[in-house]
Amino acid sequence: MSDPPAIDVRGVTRVFDSRKGFLFREHTRTEALRGIDLRVESGSIFGLLGPNGAGKTTLVKILATLLLPTTGQALVLGHDVVEEQPWLRPRIGLVLGGERGLYNRINAKDNLRYFADLYGIPPAEREERIREVLERVDLENAADRRVEEYSRGMKQKLHIARGILHRPQILFLDEPTIGLDPKSARETRKLVRSLVSDGVTIFLTTHYMFEAEELCPELAIISKGRVVARDTVAGLRQLVGGDRTIEVEAYGFEDREIVSLRSLPGVSKIVTEEFGPRTRLTMRVRTGETLPGDVTDVLPGHPELAVRERRTALEDVYLDLVEEEAP
Amino acid sequence: MATSTGHVSGARATGSSLRLSFLMFMADPQWLIPSMIAPVIFGLVSFELFRSAGPYFLTYAILGAGMMSMWGQTLYGSGWAIGQDREFGTLEPTIGAPAPYLYVVLGRVLWNVISGLIGGGIVYLVVVAAAGAPPAVPDPLGFVVLFVFVMLTLASVGIVFTAIWVYTRYAGFVQNIGEFAFYVGTGCMFPVVLLPFWTNPIALFFPPTWAVDALRYLAIPGYVGFGWGFWVDLAGAVATTLVYVGVAGTIFRRVERHVLEDGSLSWY
Ligand SMILES: Nc1ncnc2c1ncn2[C@@H]1O[C@H](COP(=O)(O)OP(=O)(O)O)[C@@H](O)[C@H]1O
Ligand SMILES: [Mg+2]
Repeated sequence: MSDPPAIDVRGVTRVFDSRKGFLFREHTRTEALRGIDLRVESGSIFGLLGPNGAGKTTLVKILATLLLPTTGQALVLGHDVVEEQPWLRPRIGLVLGGERGLYNRINAKDNLRYFADLYGIPPAEREERIREVLERVDLENAADRRVEEYSRGMKQKLHIARGILHRPQILFLDEPTIGLDPKSARETRKLVRSLVSDGVTIFLTTHYMFEAEELCPELAIISKGRVVARDTVAGLRQLVGGDRTIEVEAYGFEDREIVSLRSLPGVSKIVTEEFGPRTRLTMRVRTGETLPGDVTDVLPGHPELAVRERRTALEDVYLDLVEEEAP
Repeated sequence: MATSTGHVSGARATGSSLRLSFLMFMADPQWLIPSMIAPVIFGLVSFELFRSAGPYFLTYAILGAGMMSMWGQTLYGSGWAIGQDREFGTLEPTIGAPAPYLYVVLGRVLWNVISGLIGGGIVYLVVVAAAGAPPAVPDPLGFVVLFVFVMLTLASVGIVFTAIWVYTRYAGFVQNIGEFAFYVGTGCMFPVVLLPFWTNPIALFFPPTWAVDALRYLAIPGYVGFGWGFWVDLAGAVATTLVYVGVAGTIFRRVERHVLEDGSLSWY
């Protein structure tokens, strides 16, 4: 029998009906997820990329058994997140991160001891295991300090230590580098990469395109509660029609010129932006078919014409997708 | 890498939760002072009031209004701890762990019983110091045992109240209104028999009503109360406490489900 996919989400929706205030009730209805279908195989880092409010945290909480879907079904490691919580909980790890979620007044070790007990880690192994994960996240020297003295980056490491303490088969990381300074963020990404080599499947959310590109061989883009794309990084680049991007800037272009650019081989999409007197054309191009020199040839007589070629960044793809999705 | 989670024992979860509460307390033990001011003042005031009332005035002073805040610690402290967990953002990882949440709550409640007893001990020492002599209690050992039992009956109500705290983010608001009514209604402040008759049957639904009445029989010779005597009171206290503990077990499974449906585990 082949392994079930690590994650198998079928038509999941989630509506929040929130009532705020006790006497003067204020109703709001939010459709956080509008029908998610997603399959993720085990053994790698899968990225869920999307802007704020897209529904990333909501999906992660559903997969981590902390929230029920309104409709649809979600299986993690082949087990239903609603019906099989007792089976799943010891096998999954969740890192929501942030300033909250830890007992700040006590030290890191005591935080981990508490959760080790709630996870039923064998008492004889507990201290050794705690030492091991603290070393893993590079906190062994701060183990006896109160968490309230920790920097934002150290707290994030402790969150991750707690997430892997019980050696889960799948680890959910919700925006693991949000709010971190660049150095801590880099360290955290390095740590995340190193976890995969232990054989744990990682499901990571982020709203940083570069982070998804750096960490996740495969990813899905989520926007307004829907998955708008799901592919490998290379596949996503193809999706918008070209893995190279050529940017051309000058003091305005004529329509005729744009038409002839469009007819160059391998050019799929041209976006126009104005910057004061300057205009920038961003073109998606397939490798090798049109070179910057070909573009210059089509645009004679422009003073201060600037032509640059670069690899299509995932950010370009992301913006194309999320913008198309906009109402 | 195999998941190496062993069997999750309820006793271990409860013990660990108790230990966590203790550590959180030790990290900030000065909270004891504000929470002791009211009981000490109440204790001293009622001691002055009952001074001329007979040889058992001191017991009245200690058992009466002076105990109010201490019992509050047992009854509501646990619910408050849950409110804190929600505020800290630790409710989510705690509920997400395999140990049934009821065991975690049990640990919090036990800690509150212990800290309630510490508080009670302090009030006792202060009132005794003011009186110059320890209170006349016919059966001191029985008194102490029964006293701990009263705290446990309060704790059983505390667990059910805690379920409400987990259930809704607005529990604090409801509780502030309900707290005073509870002390009066269960006879924690003064005997229920002194209240209008219609309140008596309601009070009988609460384990502490029975337990406190039993305690008064033991400590205050000539006490009348409900008039059915010490042993009936004691049996009633045990029976109602067991009902509360049983109810808590059932409610908790529902409450856990409800919060997952509602998405109210964290402040939003
Ligand atoms: N517990 C909740 N109650 C009410 N609304 C919520 C709750 N959680 C999330 N939402 C709403 O659902 C939408 C998706 O939120 P979220 O999943 O947190 O997005 P993301 O993590 O991608 O930023 C947002 O509009 C948010 O306001
Ligand atoms: Mg989020």
